[in-house]
Amino acid sequence: MTPFLRSMFVIARRDLIAIVATPTFLLFLLAPLFMLAVGALGGVGASQLADSARGAGRIVAVLDASDVEAARAADARLRAVFGRPPVTLEMRIAGTTAPDPVAIAREKGSDTYAVLSGPLATPRIVEREPGSSAGRYLALLASDILRTRTSGAAPPVAPRFENLASGGTSIAAQQSMGFAAVFAIFLLTLLLAGQTVGSLAEEKGNKVIEILAAAVPLESVFLGKLIGMLGVAILFIAFWGGIAIAGGFVAATQIDPATLAAAGAASKPAIALTAAPATGWAFFLGVGLCYFILAFLLLGAVFLGVGAQAATVREIQMLSLPITIFQVGMFSLSAAAAGAPGSNLARFAQIFPFSSPFAMAARAATDEARAVHLLAIGWQAIWVAIAIFLSVRLFRAGVLNSGAGWKFWRRDRAAADR
Amino acid sequence: MIGDRGLSDYSVEASGLTKYFGSFKAVDHVSLQVPTGSIYGVLGPNGAGKTTSLRMMLGIIDPDEGTSRIFGDQRPQAVRHRIGYLPEERGLYPGMKAREAIAFMGALRGLDWGEGRRRAAIFMTELGLERVIDEKIRKMSKGMAQMVQLVGSIVHAPDLIVLDEPFSGLDPVNQERLEMLVKRERDRGATILFSTHVMAHAERLCDRIAIIARSQRRFEGTVDEARALLPMQVRYTPRDDRDTAGIAAMLPASAERRGDAWHFTIRDGDVEPLLSRITASGHGVTGLSIARPALHDAFVHIVRQVDAGFAADATSDAVQEALA
Repeated sequence: MTPFLRSMFVIARRDLIAIVATPTFLLFLLAPLFMLAVGALGGVGASQLADSARGAGRIVAVLDASDVEAARAADARLRAVFGRPPVTLEMRIAGTTAPDPVAIAREKGSDTYAVLSGPLATPRIVEREPGSSAGRYLALLASDILRTRTSGAAPPVAPRFENLASGGTSIAAQQSMGFAAVFAIFLLTLLLAGQTVGSLAEEKGNKVIEILAAAVPLESVFLGKLIGMLGVAILFIAFWGGIAIAGGFVAATQIDPATLAAAGAASKPAIALTAAPATGWAFFLGVGLCYFILAFLLLGAVFLGVGAQAATVREIQMLSLPITIFQVGMFSLSAAAAGAPGSNLARFAQIFPFSSPFAMAARAATDEARAVHLLAIGWQAIWVAIAIFLSVRLFRAGVLNSGAGWKFWRRDRAAADR
Repeated sequence: MIGDRGLSDYSVEASGLTKYFGSFKAVDHVSLQVPTGSIYGVLGPNGAGKTTSLRMMLGIIDPDEGTSRIFGDQRPQAVRHRIGYLPEERGLYPGMKAREAIAFMGALRGLDWGEGRRRAAIFMTELGLERVIDEKIRKMSKGMAQMVQLVGSIVHAPDLIVLDEPFSGLDPVNQERLEMLVKRERDRGATILFSTHVMAHAERLCDRIAIIARSQRRFEGTVDEARALLPMQVRYTPRDDRDTAGIAAMLPASAERRGDAWHFTIRDGDVEPLLSRITASGHGVTGLSIARPALHDAFVHIVRQVDAGFAADATSDAVQEALA
């Protein structure tokens, strides 16, 4: 191990132990309980998001061109009858080839609750949930069109209902997962990356920083602090992740799958248990951890670099405020992007370095493409390197106030010599 | 230990170090050469620029002008594992135990944690502080914490030990312990460079000194050379003092009678002629003391001269400004 890395790990180890081996760390570990309270507020946002996504849902009827007008009239009549009309009816003209209602049901951009195709007397209705009101509505629609066509003496419609076998998690649910990922990464980075400034404030207060500066390169002090705090963050996540996984395992072994499936048909919370992100749980969680680490390093580097300019704890708090506000802005941007996957806003949020970790985590919930995450991780890693490079220079200048002639873009002699 | 890492005549060679803080010139072309294996004192009044000079020599801050070599290397950062440094502003983590704090400081310089803990116990026992080795720093007195920090700065057996005002804040017992430690480290082969404004320590410890005042180096040499800047103080009491005029004629013109004794100063080369004159004069000797001035006197003399020069410059500037 090189002296640089060794000294970096000495600093990281000191910071990690200084935080973990204290009674207050227990309180810190329990912070998620407070976060849950805040999360409840976030949940309201997620719920609204889901509602708005539900608003964009649809039912689809694949019809002959001659039936379109009749269908439109029937839809209007039925909507007038129903107190709580179903989601928007989208009509498509049946082509020369047989339509694939399953493919239509799985089209992106909107939740499709049911698709009607085939002859109106014996329609094939593919529905997302068995016995859904959307499926029954389409059957009624077919019956009404037939009645219009035959002037009231129509034979009863004999629909053939099919359940959409796979891809059962709704887009709304996946968007909610995306939002939850954005929210979790935002909250964790804000909570944990902000701590790096606290440790720097401690050293400034204790005058230890000069000892560190004399003993090891300031770059390794900087990175050591960042890695030490990352260690704390990962410990924190591992603790709660472990509890969550253990809880899930207990649930999985104690609850009969048939019971769960039956409950899933009845209640939304139970459906949530069976839901899955578009990329699958393992990939989603793995890539989410990567995005958290990158977001933490990015924000932690900025906090450390800017925090080093402050002489007192109060100044550190004052300087941290704009960064926090900026980060809240990134959260809002990413949350909005999570609600509009595939939009220009989402693309911008996924590319912009400071919102990219959040927005890409949300994308992993709604889009099954995986390769793009490798690209995003590489892109974010470049920005982490840039942020660290600039922040180290700020850190070096700020930490010892080493003179008026300092320019952060000028490589100092010590660094140049290394 | 030092031998197998390569010896040079000077452990520290600073040349023309200059540092500005804003428009204030904190250090003005300071040059020093610290011989390897010596104890070297940087003396100066408060605010003279001692700490800034040491920081530049160690590469903690970059000089605006000048260069510094440590062990012949122009990159102080590259040899920092061979350096022990006690900064002027003491700093320790209050929540750390003394043993861990020492091991941590050693680990920063590349010493294994376990070895650091072992050496911490040895040092602390030698200093009579073994009872607090597992105490947290926050529970220690300031002096004890300072000793812990000192041990932390030398635990890795550095070849160069730089101590910035190491005696401030220590009681006389701990000051003596520190002096003992400094001498022992020198005997081990280390070079010691320390700053102070307390002359007694420098007088007892230093092989060479530099005096910095008003941002510039004003003197460099041995303690004796510094003391030789001032004439020797003579107190002469004749056995027969009736011939006052004769006695006055025998002594330097500056001689002044106070009670039975005559007080005057002489230069090094004038001692033997004076003794010859007294012997030949027949006035006899009841008491005769010839004392070199202390380093303190030499220091005060140098600093006052510098201050007087500044005052004269300021007056001259004011006059010129008024005339203009």
